[in-house]
Amino acid sequence: MVDNIAIASLPLPEFAKVRYSGWQLDELTPATENTKTTYFLKNTISGIEVSGQSTTYQHLSENMIAQGVIVMGMKQAQMVYGPLVNKLIGSVISKRADRLSAQNYEQFNTGIFVYIPDQVKFDDVLHLTLNHLAMSGQDFVARIFVCVGAHAKVTILQEMHTIGSEKTKASVVIEVLAKVGAQVTYANIDSLGEQTTAFINREVLVKDHATVDWQNAEFNDGNVVMRVASQLNGEGATSHANVIGLTIKKQTQGLVTTVLNKGRHTVGHIFQRGVILNRSTLVFNGIGQIIKGAKGSDAQQESRVLMLSRRARGDANPLLLIDENDVTAGHAASVGRVDDEQMYYLMSRGISERVARKLVIRGFMGEVLMKMPTRAAQQKVMSEIERKLQYEDD
Amino acid sequence: MTTLKVENLHVSVAGKEILKGLDLIVNTGEIHAIMGPNGTGKSTLSQTIMGHPAYQVTQGNIYIDGQNLAEMSVDARARAGLFLAMQYPSEIQGVTNTEFMRAAINARRPEDDQISVMSFIEKLDEKREFLAMTEEMAERYLNEGFSGGEKKRNEILQMMMIQPQIAILDEIDSGLDIDALKVVSRGVNSMRSNEFGALMITHYQRLLDYIVPDFVHVMMDGKIVKTGDANLAKKLEAEGYAGLRDELGLDVHLTDEETNSYFVED
Repeated sequence: MVDNIAIASLPLPEFAKVRYSGWQLDELTPATENTKTTYFLKNTISGIEVSGQSTTYQHLSENMIAQGVIVMGMKQAQMVYGPLVNKLIGSVISKRADRLSAQNYEQFNTGIFVYIPDQVKFDDVLHLTLNHLAMSGQDFVARIFVCVGAHAKVTILQEMHTIGSEKTKASVVIEVLAKVGAQVTYANIDSLGEQTTAFINREVLVKDHATVDWQNAEFNDGNVVMRVASQLNGEGATSHANVIGLTIKKQTQGLVTTVLNKGRHTVGHIFQRGVILNRSTLVFNGIGQIIKGAKGSDAQQESRVLMLSRRARGDANPLLLIDENDVTAGHAASVGRVDDEQMYYLMSRGISERVARKLVIRGFMGEVLMKMPTRAAQQKVMSEIERKLQYEDD
Repeated sequence: MTTLKVENLHVSVAGKEILKGLDLIVNTGEIHAIMGPNGTGKSTLSQTIMGHPAYQVTQGNIYIDGQNLAEMSVDARARAGLFLAMQYPSEIQGVTNTEFMRAAINARRPEDDQISVMSFIEKLDEKREFLAMTEEMAERYLNEGFSGGEKKRNEILQMMMIQPQIAILDEIDSGLDIDALKVVSRGVNSMRSNEFGALMITHYQRLLDYIVPDFVHVMMDGKIVKTGDANLAKKLEAEGYAGLRDELGLDVHLTDEETNSYFVED
């Protein structure tokens, strides 16, 4: 039974300079939609596709199976590995972290569970595709947990889509646990639909000498608040949190990227690039926090926003909270225009201003684009950029 | 035949006059070299011809086949037949070399007659191999992580793919070792024909051993002060710019002299 009163007393998660209390993300009716259709994964790609409550695609390479990798729909995982799943969920993002995360914990009825045992290494990218079925008008409440064992080395590509066009809300909480010495690249392409208002919260707990790099592309069409966080708990834990975002029409995307340096000699770098069109709003909040005792740690951040319309609103707010002297830290933020030198270079080859602009804008987000783990994912990011830039003249 | 004509050109950068009345004619079929001491305006000339927004023409005109460049945007100048191999080409992540070159070629063709992928790749492979560039380099992001030498080679590759009428090569030899210099020169020489003209800007005579020019111009203080054939470059190599200045009786400060005295005073 949902303890509504206790949850309602928790504060909303903080997204500075984003007004979203009117989005009513704390009032969700979890949908129970099913489908037999697989929308994206095919041809023995390693991974899983979950749409609504249905798992329509599930395939692991022989190598993954032999090494004991578990990838399944969250409902199934709770049935098969109940005690393990229940122990893990809420261990990275606390069950009472904030009102929306707590509500997700109480209400989620779909999602994905991934368990990668110690020492496991695989070269192929593990795809986690999560589709919000927006057909009934009810809301999508999903949870993902990814546990990466000690010294394991994996690359994950998570995608989120909206199928259907009913006006709905989505709440997705993603927890990642990276054990000692694990190396994880976790790429996200979030492309929820125009009628989906969403709260996305993803956080990783990074243990000793583990490295977790986020590559996030926030290409949602609707109103979204998204938080991505790395807790560097272990000695020498490292995380690079790279985020690109593109907003169009009248949408708002409010983003918070947080790195918490707790362990000694931890390294946390935040890199954010955003492009803003039309009357939309894009806010980047970068928070680098080094606690007392995290000696020898490094917190850096860089946020740059490109405004392509006078009516757009963009913000890049870097915040460094440092309680330890023996550290290095720095930040840079800017709101700027299309790079003139790059435009000149492309146009000097005869390329028209219109085409050159597209290429330069793509290049502005290239740092994250080129780190997408597969050719297909890079292609997807490029075509999303292309698609959104079509609204430039609106 | 295509003709690039520069007439009494005066150019200012950030309010300071750099070119002070420069005249020059480059026809297809001719290779010109411009030499001159540091700070004399050689790169200003090349950037002004291409249309870099920071360079302000205050007097005079530049024409390509009678069309006044002042009325043409950078991309229109390129499509009219001009090409500039840049000293510091931009890096653009997320745009591959291949995609960039295809866009450049297609910009010159009507929309219903774009180059086919097959013929583009054939052409690219041919030119790339000629310049001893790997296939992998063509697929990399534009100049991203390229060494200085690779960037220069990539500029020449673009020139060979685009096949402009008049190419300006701005210090294409700087930062190249002797092997790379030979490769780059081979690329330029392969373009030599009645349909191609070039204006090479260089500090050193060495480049002109590999690409023998028809004309050598010496620039000082924003003007061409002497024009000759390939022998002029050899003479300069032997006597230096100061020697030529004194011979011509010019009242010109060479930047490096100023720099030296500046450091002495400092």
